Formats: sequence, C-alpha cells, structure tokens
Amino acid sequence: MSNTLTKLRYRYWPDHVFGELLQKQWMETAVPLLVLLLTIAFFSSRIDNFISVANLSDTLRQASELGFVVLGMSLVLIVGGIDLSVASVFALCNLTALYCINVLGLPTPAVIALTLLLGAVLGAVNGVLIGYMRMRAFLTTMVTLIVYKAIHDLLNFQLAVAISSVVPDVPAWDFLGNGDFLSIPTVVWVFAIVAIASHIFLTRLRPGWYVMAIGGNRRSAYNIGLPVNRVVAMSYMASGVFAATSAIFYASRLASPGADTGKGLEITVLTAAILGGIRLGGGKGSVTKAVLGTLIILIITNGLLRLATPAGAARLILATILLLAATLDIRWFKNRHKAVQELYVSPSYLELPQSPPTGASSPFALNDRLRAVEQIGLGEVESPEDVILDREDNLYCGSRHGEIIRFFAPDYKRMEVYARIGGQPLGMAFDAGGTLFVCVGGMGLYRVNPDRTVEKVTDETNRSLLSVVDDSRLRLADDLDIAPDGRIFFSEATIRYEMHEWPTDSLEGRGNGRIICYDPRSGKTHTVLRHLIFPNGVVLASDKESIIFAESWNCSIKRHWFAGAKEGTTETVIASLPGYPDNINVSSDGNYWLALMGMRSPAFDLAMRKPAFRRRMSKRLPGDEWLAPNINTGCIVKFNEKGEILDALWDLGGLNHPMITSMREHKGYLYIGGISNNRIGRIKLEGADPEFVSSGRYNV
Amino acid sequence: MFDAVSSLISSVFGRGSSLSVPILDGALKPNNMIERATILAERQGLEDIALDPANVLHVACGREVLKLSDNGEFTVAASFDRPVTALAFTTGGELAVGLGNAVAVGGRVLDSADGKPFVAVNALSATPDGGLLITDGSASRPYAQWSHDLMEAGRTGRLLRYDGNGRVATLASGLGYAFGAMVDARGRTLVSESWRHRLSLVEGGRTREAVPALPGYPSRLAPTPDGGFWLTLFSCRTQLVEFVLQEDDYRREMMRTIDPKYWVAPALSSGEDYMEPLQGGSVKQMGILKPWAPPRSYGLAVRFDADFLPLYSVHSRTGGRNHGVVAAVQRGDDLFLLSKGAGRVLRLSVAEIQSAWTKGTNE
Repeated sequence: MSNTLTKLRYRYWPDHVFGELLQKQWMETAVPLLVLLLTIAFFSSRIDNFISVANLSDTLRQASELGFVVLGMSLVLIVGGIDLSVASVFALCNLTALYCINVLGLPTPAVIALTLLLGAVLGAVNGVLIGYMRMRAFLTTMVTLIVYKAIHDLLNFQLAVAISSVVPDVPAWDFLGNGDFLSIPTVVWVFAIVAIASHIFLTRLRPGWYVMAIGGNRRSAYNIGLPVNRVVAMSYMASGVFAATSAIFYASRLASPGADTGKGLEITVLTAAILGGIRLGGGKGSVTKAVLGTLIILIITNGLLRLATPAGAARLILATILLLAATLDIRWFKNRHKAVQELYVSPSYLELPQSPPTGASSPFALNDRLRAVEQIGLGEVESPEDVILDREDNLYCGSRHGEIIRFFAPDYKRMEVYARIGGQPLGMAFDAGGTLFVCVGGMGLYRVNPDRTVEKVTDETNRSLLSVVDDSRLRLADDLDIAPDGRIFFSEATIRYEMHEWPTDSLEGRGNGRIICYDPRSGKTHTVLRHLIFPNGVVLASDKESIIFAESWNCSIKRHWFAGAKEGTTETVIASLPGYPDNINVSSDGNYWLALMGMRSPAFDLAMRKPAFRRRMSKRLPGDEWLAPNINTGCIVKFNEKGEILDALWDLGGLNHPMITSMREHKGYLYIGGISNNRIGRIKLEGADPEFVSSGRYNV
Repeated sequence: MFDAVSSLISSVFGRGSSLSVPILDGALKPNNMIERATILAERQGLEDIALDPANVLHVACGREVLKLSDNGEFTVAASFDRPVTALAFTTGGELAVGLGNAVAVGGRVLDSADGKPFVAVNALSATPDGGLLITDGSASRPYAQWSHDLMEAGRTGRLLRYDGNGRVATLASGLGYAFGAMVDARGRTLVSESWRHRLSLVEGGRTREAVPALPGYPSRLAPTPDGGFWLTLFSCRTQLVEFVLQEDDYRREMMRTIDPKYWVAPALSSGEDYMEPLQGGSVKQMGILKPWAPPRSYGLAVRFDADFLPLYSVHSRTGGRNHGVVAAVQRGDDLFLLSKGAGRVLRLSVAEIQSAWTKGTNE
C-alpha cells in the first residue's frame, strides 16, 4: 500500500523540475516579480480603487520619473560602484531646468540639452574621481552629494523667488510633464523607450557586456584588456544624465524649486534597485529588475500614503525593507548554488524485475573465456569506449584526450592519432564510403571524413515543449547506427547531466535520455523517443526497419520501429538483465553482441526502490561514497531478436580486461573496448565467419 | 550543550547526525605492510591465534585448534564439536577455547554468567592470576551474525571474568559489541567496543573511554613486552555504512530481503563477488582500483604504547587481499597477524616496521 503510494508520488510529482527552475537565470527576476504581485495584492485588499485608471496613470508617471534615476543607479551598481549623489544631481538639474525655462525663457530643446549636459558634467566629476583617480565610490559620491546639495541650496536661495514669480506658457514643456499620448503619459513612453534601449545595451551590445564584465570581476576584466577606468567613469556620467532626465520631467510636472527637492531620493532609489535584485557587489542586474524594484517601491510608498501612515513611519518601513532586501540578497547569492544542489538531484522510483540467475545452468553461467584476451595498446589508450574496424582491418577507438586513435593492421602494434575531436568519443560507426560517424560526449554527433577532416553533423535537436532545462542541445550522445536510407539513429544517455556526472544520473534512475534521429536528406535532427532510462547501445535490427537499443539503468533491451508496418512502436526484447547493458553490435551469425558494463547488486537494486534514501545519500555523502552500480565486473553476451541469451563471455578476476563497454566482431575476432580502461582486448571467436565485417553497410 | 543543540537542529531538518569518519592519519597513515607481509600459512576458517606457554603458535581454525610451526605446518592439537570462536592459554598453561555460546577451559565448560547464557564468545585473554577475560559480543546474535548485531545497533556486549575456579563474574555489560579484552601491564582492564569504535577501560563495574574515535571496528588485543599492545581493527568505517545505520527503512528491508554477504556493511574480505555493493570511489579507473577508495574491507593493526597512544600501524588497503585482521600476537621480533578475510597467518618483523616508520619509508 505505502509502496504504491510511493510509486505514484514519484511518478506524478515532478521533483526534478524545482532544481531545474532554480538553475534558470530568469528565476532571479521571478523573485522581485513575485514581491511586486504580493505588494499589489496587499494594497488592493486594503485600499478601494487602488488599481484604478487614474491612480495607475499617476503611479506610472511617478514610477517613470523615479525609474530613470534607478536605471542610472543600477548601471553604477552593476559596474561595481554606488552613486549616492543622484539626489543632489537631481535637485540641481531641476533648479537649472526651471531657471532656464522660467527665467531665461530658453526654448524647450535647449533647456533639455542644457540640463542633460549639466547632469553629465556632475556625473563626470564622480566618474573621473572614482574611475581614473581610484577613489572610493561610497565616500566620493557622499562628498559630491553634500557639495552639490550645498550648491543647490545656495542657488535655490537666490533663484527661487525669480523662478516662482514666472509661469511660462510653453506647450511643449508642459507636454513633457503633464501630456498624454494614446492616454499614456509622455514620461512613461520615454521611460519605456529608454528602458528597452538600456536592456538592449546591457544584454546585446559590447559596451554593455563590458559593464557586466567589469562588475563581475574588475581584475579579470582589466587583464583581458577592457578599458576599466573609462567604462567606470562613463557609467557615473550616465547615472548623472539619467538623474537629469528625471529632473526635467519632474520640473515640467511640478515647476517647484523647493529646498527639499530630491531629499532622501538616494535611499529610495537604492532600495528600489536592491529590491529589484540588483546586487550591491556588482556584476549582476538587469533593466527588468530595476523596473520591478521601482514599481515595488512606488506602490509601497503610495500605498502607505493612501493608508495615511505618518511620514516618519513610512520612511522607517522603507528602511526596514531595504535592510531585509540587502540581507536576503547576500544570503541568496551565497546559498543559491546550495539550494540548486539540494534540489537538482531528484531520484525516482525504479523497480527492476528480479535479476535473472547467473548460476551454472543459466545462459549467463560464469566462465573465464575472456581470460585469453590479447591486449592491444595497453597503457597507450585511455578510455576507448567503443572500438571499430575499417575494411582494411585497421582498428579505431576514442580516447579521453579527445582523439580518435588508429591501430594499424595486422598486428596493431603501431598507432597514430587519426583525428582530433576535442571531446570524449563514444559510439562509432562507419558508413559505406569510409566516413566515420562518432558520438562525442558533451558535443554531439560528429563525422571524420576519409581525408581525416572533422565535421559537426549535429549538436541539437528539437526542443521539447514542457522541458525546463534546454534539451535542444545534445549533452551526452552515446551510440549510433546507420539505417539503409542514410538516417542516423543515436542515443543520448541523459539530458540532465554531463558525461562525467553519469553516477548522478544512475542515482536518479529517471527517464532522462532519448533516441534521436539525424536525417541527412533534410539536414534536420529530431527526437524519436523520450524518457528512456540511460539509453546506451543502438544497433540496426535485421529487418532494417527498426533499431534495438539498451536502457542501462533499466537493465533492459528494447526495439523501436522507424519504418514499415510497425512504424512508431516500441517493444521490449529483454526485460531484465543481470547487469547494465551498454553497446550492442551485430554478430556474424545474425545475432547481437551486448556488453554488460557492470552487474547489478541487491543493495543497489533495493536503493533504486528507495528514492528518498537516495536523495538523502546524495545530499549527505560525497560522490565517492555513494552507492554505485558495480561496473568493475562485466561480461559480453550474445542474444537474438527473441530476447534469448545465446552465449556469455566472462573474465571474473578482471585481470586481463576489466571493464567492458563495447565489442565489435570483425573477421573472426571480437574486439573489446571499455570506457575506464587503458587497453583494447581481442579474442578469437571459434566458428565465426572469417570474412565478416560488422559496419560500413550503408551510406549516409 | 552546543552539540546537543546542533544535533537537535539537524534532526528537525532531517539531516541526522554527523556522518564523518576519522581519517587515517598520523600513526594511522596508510602503508602496505600487511599486504606485503610474509604469508606463514594459509587455511580456510582461521579464526584466532595464541601462544602456548612454550611460545608455540596455535591457531583456531574451524572446529580445531592447530599447532602452527615456524615453517607454516599445521598439526591438530585439539578438536571440538563446534567451531572454535576464540583461543587463549591461561598463565597456568591451560588451553582455553571459545565455542560460540560456551567456553571450555581446563576440563570445565562455562556457559553463563549471572544467569545469562553466553551467546557470542569471541575473544579470550589470560589474566595474571590464572583466570580469563571473556568477551561475549552480543546477547541476541551468535558470533557468525556479527553484522546483524551491527545493523541492529547492538548494545548488549558483556565483558566477563573467569577466576580460574569455575566462577564467572560480569565486569561490564551494555557494551557496543565487546570483541577482545586484556589486562595490561599496569593491571588495567581494556575492552574493545566495536560498534562504538573505541577502547574502554573497565574499573569497578564502570566503563570509561580510553581510546575514542577509531577509524575502524576494533577487535582483539595482543600485549607487547613494553606494556603496550597491538590492536587489530577488522574493518574500516565508511560514511556509507554510518549513513545506512541511520536509514532505518532501508536497513530493515535490506536485512529482511538481502543475503548478509551483499549488505551495505563492513566485511572481512571483498572484491571477489560482483553482487557486493560498490561505492562511487571504488569504480576502477584505467584498470586500477584506487587505494583511497571507500573500503568495504581493510586490513589494519595499530601499535599502542602503555599510555594508550598510537605509535604506528600496519595496513592492507583497498584492493588488497590480507583484509579482516582479527587477531595478533607478538613473539620477540615477530608479529603474527591473522587475516580472517584471506584465511592467512602473516608474519612481520617489528624492527622493520619500526625502522620504516622512523625513516618515513613506510609505504
């Protein structure tokens, strides 16, 4: 009963999704978005008509004004600094704009240009001091905050009366502050355009990347030759310009040269940026976050105002929020990868059928026939996962150094690097023209042409609709075979882990893998079967309309028809093996050789039925201590399409040939490869067809 | 106090208590001395080793006690109707054997103490007054089922004292598997508590920790002339076993459904059967099983001085054969170790061990 519940729970509850979600970059933005929605919900429930058109329009107008300053602050934060002087810059620019339009009577474009220029100059002072003279951002901008404020107060004292006594009638100027376009305030339009431009700047343009890079690691950025000083200085200047922009709209809307203009603005702006999730340490942040932060702050301040909270209390609340946000920011940044680690590995319930006996009377009866294996290239090759021979009997294998090695016939004493791939070559297949197709771990499907040039065949497939992780990239292409029409069918063992992380995938035991087809006629790649439990070996069946493939952690062999009457159907050939199947290849008598890379152990089989146990194990123990599939002892078996085991070859001590992942029959011999091995094995097969060549039947 | 709070927090968050295992370092730095030791004799079923008053080696093997000559030949000295589980000679020169649920000494058969029958007699040690120390590992599991007792977190071991005249008294009970004891040169009584990974001192009915936090499961002890002793540890601890000991559901089902030799539990030998559980670090790379891989079985004997400080140790590491060392005896310069896992009696030279450790060539 409880067992059934466990099964159902692990079948339908998508454990793996949470860790995958958490890994996404956009999850960082999801948090402030959630906060925004919660804030809106909270105030909507407390205040009638909180979301009314009039209120919304007013909020957006203010939000846009504030938003400019937040954008500037965000830029500075991202580059790794802080700009406290924004409030004074804002106040000075406000005063200047009003003086220009009211007293000097300058035309609107000139006012805008002059104010922006002033903002740029004020920002540039910060920029030069911090960027070029290497002064501390916090101290410098605090000083300029005070100095600019003092200047503002002096000027304001002299000019306020003059400004206030004139009410200019300039429609263009009024349009800035109070106008609408398509019933949306002008300032919102401008802000939207600027925000989108900033987003493109930060994410798509080279200078934007410089900003991110310098904020991420200043020294590295300097070492790779980025103009660190200039970029830092420019970002402070930009911050000044953004503050000036905001001041123009503010001046136009309120026309007020008050002494308190911009008071406390730096705190509001900083709170907005940090609430939005822009890191104080630099290197992380986006325009979306700045906008979200601005909206949150504005809704909170407006909401508090509408709730008639005393001014002091509102400030206190805002300060508390800033403190909480900053703490959360640091904790989250420090611990996010831990959270991902905690959640990503999500074992599933995998009940394997009873392991078939390997006793003396069984077809798997133990023997030491592999003890007579000859060793080829002992100590010269590392990790030959698969082996293959060409028509001239030369022997090819992959190596963990990312090469394809060729041993020359007839004695295989001489070797050379046949091709350099760059990733670990796994399954291999020749087509009739002598082109070698290779599945490369972490890279995809590649081919080595007869002239030894290496070409990518495919490294992506169609992305599935509901997958959280991007499963269009091939992570672990494993083994392949070529169909008569040239299509290549290959397995991808897992979409959740890299090649060296296979033990973690074995711990999950979920259908993370798939069978993929590359069609050379259209050049397209598409996924044929999903949710397979570590699909591994693939071989074309005798009817040439189906493939036979192995599911390693499921200890089973299946067959899938890609053409003919049974097209699209999948059947089980062997439901339960005593070990973990790896590569499959044809034998000269029309049957199939299968490598069992390791044997099942009762303790591991039991663990596969205890997902929670495995999850705790993965959290509490280091990987070297995990219970793992026993891949130290393996064997080679021969089976037919009915699923009968015809033969088994063992080397129990594993002295001559520990670890088998592949074998290939060629002219009366069986050649044996192993992924964690440092040799290739060769054994004479009694009664095998001495002319038999296993691959190179079809052209791609 | 702090530990209590942190363990409370851990249990609230489902983390369980710490899984850390002491590392092999200092006097326990690994070497291959046991693995490279001279094989004096090989025989299936070896269990314990002792010297008779004439300094002749005797071994318990199956149902027999065998005399072992210095060139490795066995001659039968005594045989019994049950497997012999412990062997010793009293100071009076009488042969004493443990027979699972009984002790036969000087024509007497002892089978209970304080009304409680013996269950798992696994070690005997002569006391200076002509008596014996007897360890009875568990009150619920016979000696052969020691791994059951570990998996059940057995705390029912007893240390008993036979006075040489037919009376047996309990010195300590509630031990976390008693496996080996001795009275040292200063008259103190030491007992191995395997499942608590420690040696305890027994004084006036109370036990006190003498050597804590051993990296393995301590077993029988053998005194040395200088007042110190050799301690054998029959296997090393692993984090996985510690983890499984906290995983009640998994452990119970494992005990119910799986053959004990395939349990996630320490073993006396390993690597011969592919159905044994394997840990990630034990996957062979380039044909080599890394010696630092988590040990399912291990060979280890540690030399302690009279102040219970470890001086040096001899090892057979992961991937070796001479594992499951359960008994030792020193005669002059010769150290004889009994590897139950390999079924071997091994001979090492104490002087060579010492010089390798002083020179730092102990590899």
